[in-house]
Amino acid sequence: MLLDTHQSEIEAIIARYAQKRSAVLPLLYLAQDTYGYLNPAAVREVAAILDLPATDVFEVVGFYTLFYDKPVGTWMLQVCDDLPCCYLGAEELLTALKRTLGIREDQTTADGMFTLQRVKCLAACDRAPVVQANLDYLYDVTAERADLLLANLRARAAEAKQRGLSGRSAEDFVVETDRLSHMSRDAAYQERSFTIEPPPPPTPPAELDSGYDLPQFRRASPL
Amino acid sequence: MALSEYIVMRELNHPDINQFAVYRRLGGWDAYATALRERTPAAVVQLVREAGLRGRGGAGFPTGVKWGFLPKGVFPRYLLCNCDESEPGTFNNHQIIDRNPHQLIEGVALSAYAIESNTAYIYMRGEFAAAALTLERAIAEAYQAGFLGRNILGTGYDLDIYVHRGAGAYICGEETALMESLEGKIGQPRLKPPFPAVAGLYGKPTIINNVETLANVPRIVERGVAWYRSYGTEKSPGTKCFSLSGHVNRPGNYELPFGVPLRELIESPEYGGGMRGGRKVKIIIPGGASAPWLTAKHLDVPLDYEGVAAAGSMLGSGAVIVLDETVKAPHVAYKMDEFFKHESCGKCTPCREGTHWLVKVLHRMADEGHGEAGDIETLHGIYRQMAGNCFCLLGESAVMPIKSALQLFPEEFETIIETSSRQHGRGKHVIPLL
Repeated sequence: MLLDTHQSEIEAIIARYAQKRSAVLPLLYLAQDTYGYLNPAAVREVAAILDLPATDVFEVVGFYTLFYDKPVGTWMLQVCDDLPCCYLGAEELLTALKRTLGIREDQTTADGMFTLQRVKCLAACDRAPVVQANLDYLYDVTAERADLLLANLRARAAEAKQRGLSGRSAEDFVVETDRLSHMSRDAAYQERSFTIEPPPPPTPPAELDSGYDLPQFRRASPL
Repeated sequence: MALSEYIVMRELNHPDINQFAVYRRLGGWDAYATALRERTPAAVVQLVREAGLRGRGGAGFPTGVKWGFLPKGVFPRYLLCNCDESEPGTFNNHQIIDRNPHQLIEGVALSAYAIESNTAYIYMRGEFAAAALTLERAIAEAYQAGFLGRNILGTGYDLDIYVHRGAGAYICGEETALMESLEGKIGQPRLKPPFPAVAGLYGKPTIINNVETLANVPRIVERGVAWYRSYGTEKSPGTKCFSLSGHVNRPGNYELPFGVPLRELIESPEYGGGMRGGRKVKIIIPGGASAPWLTAKHLDVPLDYEGVAAAGSMLGSGAVIVLDETVKAPHVAYKMDEFFKHESCGKCTPCREGTHWLVKVLHRMADEGHGEAGDIETLHGIYRQMAGNCFCLLGESAVMPIKSALQLFPEEFETIIETSSRQHGRGKHVIPLL
């Protein structure tokens, strides 16, 4: 039970707010990290700690995209496909990731290592394409660097399990051609140097089978 | 026109400004300490009002005037710092915190003092997990140095600052939805009035400001009104952190005084460095996803609230997305409205249904290349039914991309319809198979 393992932390969180209910999001993050995902028992537990009807907490879990009510992979890969990422290589990256992992969006690999998601703007548009893995920022992830990224994440699977999904000890990385370099919080801020690359070749027309939104679209009204 | 001194990106070139000791040595927290000892809260409000600081989150509302809306003698009051930055093209809050978290915290502390609040929350979007840790660490340092906590610097003033992480919902950047979310509910906006200054968080008087706005406050208090107003224009004083992205050679955050022409931001080798591959500018979105589009003929528009408004758009959050001629306008509108559809909270019908239907039609046209006669009228019809009818600004914003695309590039929609791959496959002449 959360109260047994994290009692002082929970009390400290609740003490920040004038009303107990405000602690719903932080406690759900805590429960998600502890149990791996928000199963119904975990949600009820949070509701009980905060003296809330369970329905209210289920509603919150359903509303916010960073709460997972089904099991997910060790690494939750969230690829930004919004403007401007989508014009700077995000679609190519998604194609590469899907091919390598053999899954489509919102699926998990058979070994339980990766879940792939498309997400909306991650607010790092100057470092497109941008990916988050368990809320660690990964900048400049072009399609050619997808394999490097996956290999790095696989090697850090144990670390990911220990840190949890909710970014309670998140870090940021720049994905370079041959390695992932760590953007340490305590190091000096470095001004970014630009290498101005030649323009990419024109992209072929998008595959019809992008998988995104399409099944839903096919179910459109008979007219 | 590089600034000799930066306001938001203070000590831009100092490598260790993200460390507390360095920030302190370079004069950080002095403004706060002096204000606590020598100025009344009302005097700080007056100073910010005279400096003409305008909210950087999008609306450009004068901050000092907003602070003046608080009802007299009603306590407790809350200060909320809005760091729920999630709109395509906006990315400066995150980097302001990464570069120099202490300046934001000093700004929050000063502003809390000005509005006589003892509790401030910094609401960050859930994805900013690492930045939240940075801020928490910096807040802990400020407590340790005695700038936060009880009886600060012996003046009897108490202040607590907490970081609260959302969990992935753009709508929580809307001020009343943010309060709902902070109260532990789903993030749906509230009916206004009552405005937050009268009844906000927990029903108490609340002021809510953007990260960049609050990061301006320490320098205004330290250097005074005349110095601050020496930057920018008469109606938009100070500087703005423009977030430049898209098909430019050097995307990034560039702090410039208000009034700099768009061309300089995009083409100067110090900032945008021109377009990738020397291609031509096609679409400029000057203020985040909700701003009407501009085109290459607007390159001389000055980047201040009035100048961009005169060109028919809005400066909004100062997120400038520049797209070149390789993109198709219907596809840009599709991606933008897909964002709004995904982030619509579902509270009001025009937004929930309108964004849904816009995306349905646009997906078919822009992604599948299939247009039908009447699509253009349908699109006009959908956004007209949304405009002015949505509960909050999210739905109103979703109107802008499609309206701009239809206004500026109608021929691209017509081409899709004319060259559609499935001219006769669907439509009213086909008997539906049920």
